Amino acid sequence: MIIQNIVFGILLGSIYALAAIGLSLIFGVVNLTNFAHGDFIMLAMYVAYLLGVSLKLDPILTPIISFPLFFLLGMAVYLVIFHKIIRAPPLSQIAVTVGLLVLLRNFALAVWHAEPKSIPRTILGYSYHLGPLLIPADRLTGMLISIATFIALHLFLTKTRIGIAMRALADDLDSAALMGVNVRNLNMLTCALGIGIVALAGGILMTFQPVNPMTGLIYGLLTWSVVAMAGLGGVSGVLLSGIIFGIADAFTAAFWDPRAREITIYILFILLLWFRPKGLFGRR
Amino acid sequence: MDRRLVLAPLISLGVLSLVPLLLGFNNYYLLLASLILLYTTMVSAWNIIGGFAGQVDLAAGAYHGIGIFVTGLLFIFYRVTPLVGIFLGGGVAALLALAIGYPTFRFGLREVWYALSSLALVVILYKLFLIWENVGGTIERYLPKVGFSWFYLTFPGNYLYYYFMSALLLVATIAINIRVRYSKLGYYLLAIRENEEAAEMLGIDVRRYKLYALMIYSFIVGLTGGIFVLMLGYVHPVLFDSWISIQTAILGIVGGLGSIAGGPIIAVVLLAVAEYLRVKFGGYIPGLHQILFAIILMVIVLFKPGGIGEWLDTLWRRLTVGRRVEEVA
Repeated sequence: MIIQNIVFGILLGSIYALAAIGLSLIFGVVNLTNFAHGDFIMLAMYVAYLLGVSLKLDPILTPIISFPLFFLLGMAVYLVIFHKIIRAPPLSQIAVTVGLLVLLRNFALAVWHAEPKSIPRTILGYSYHLGPLLIPADRLTGMLISIATFIALHLFLTKTRIGIAMRALADDLDSAALMGVNVRNLNMLTCALGIGIVALAGGILMTFQPVNPMTGLIYGLLTWSVVAMAGLGGVSGVLLSGIIFGIADAFTAAFWDPRAREITIYILFILLLWFRPKGLFGRR
Repeated sequence: MDRRLVLAPLISLGVLSLVPLLLGFNNYYLLLASLILLYTTMVSAWNIIGGFAGQVDLAAGAYHGIGIFVTGLLFIFYRVTPLVGIFLGGGVAALLALAIGYPTFRFGLREVWYALSSLALVVILYKLFLIWENVGGTIERYLPKVGFSWFYLTFPGNYLYYYFMSALLLVATIAINIRVRYSKLGYYLLAIRENEEAAEMLGIDVRRYKLYALMIYSFIVGLTGGIFVLMLGYVHPVLFDSWISIQTAILGIVGGLGSIAGGPIIAVVLLAVAEYLRVKFGGYIPGLHQILFAIILMVIVLFKPGGIGEWLDTLWRRLTVGRRVEEVA
């Protein structure tokens, strides 16, 4: 039972980490507080639902279409909104992105209404049995995609010129700009990438969870919790803290009450902010 | 300062008393007007923590819900009169704020982290009351039917009384705003908002004064919950509503941080418009009024960060300076 839930937690947590990495990138590199991240996840889930219903596409395959869409969406959001508040005080950033959150939530409410939506079916609706352990295929696939994304991202950030420039930007904006980094383009690329990855997470989440307009708030707080625990610097920290939250989630659902998942996660989040404001894995 | 303290509340009470007359004592309009005044009260209270102290607090939904549950459950379980229950609700909300706020400020949570943890509090309490079947649970608990009673503050089918309760609370909150603004506490809070390190360096006990601001705010928001539950007639965990938090902060920011008049004025106007939109288009575009709020918030913050309050100040100065020039001439 305990091992089973640890396995569930790891599977779930790596998907949470995938949902949070975009936020971590935007927060770390662009230095932007994005309250609307969870609502982008919600939007991605709805897009996966839409593609699943209209094109009869399996949700796990929807990112093939939705990733480019969200990449462009990230660029557009950067150019229209984020661009204006990058140098603004935190309060303005919070206010504007809260506005964006409300906008996205009500857009979803107007288009898809308040009833939860879930996809008709997925080819991954079966489970593997590993001795006494039960491993759902949808979550296993999700974890594999997530880990592949993290490896790709890690290589991108450490091996390519653009990736190194991104990390430089995260460390010291002014020096990076003086060294000839094109801050504006790089910021746009980071936002595009960060929100593009959300499409991936949305497709995976849609294989096993329904979505409604309030999902955004839940995932928004969840991804911020993951980022708070990870601290800034390095993608592996995000993966690890995602897994920790995943395990906390699975244990609460199994031993207390499935509805109490948010309670454990957010209390953990608040305690973390009190006692380890730099995060567990952060450099600063 | 003392003149303002007496004058401003009296004027607002006078204006507010005329509203039922204009509405022709129509019960439905009075209900809407009472709700608008309650939400406006929250905005005015938010001004103390958000406007003066500069902390983007998103826990209004939590304190409001605590007020609802304490007042409602004391009435349902023990027949405690809401005359007492409302204030107990405010007190419990303030105690909760103290319990959460003390470590929050002690460990220096600020800006985005403060906003996030306060928003998380709303969701935590919602889920907690949903699971805690003895007091919350998924089924509504109705207030006892006692008929028309001053003692239980129950006036079935007549919202005029609730309207005046809300109006009084709003006026009192505005008076508290003015009192705080021109006191030592107010100046300290403004200093903290502008530069917390500098304020601390000058010997202000930053934590203590932020905590005072938080407790005043949460107490008032708790009171609004108590009045709200009397109008609503039942308690349910869904009343821990994150939208109330967000709405309060949006209106506070649009009204202008630290502006005593800006928040309430813009709140009354926008909430009235929102209510109209909800009635007119709510059927097919359910969230239209929220979309309106979001757009106004983004436009104001991007293009006029001072909010409506700044504009009001300029207007006021022009009017008064103009008068003074005339006197001299």
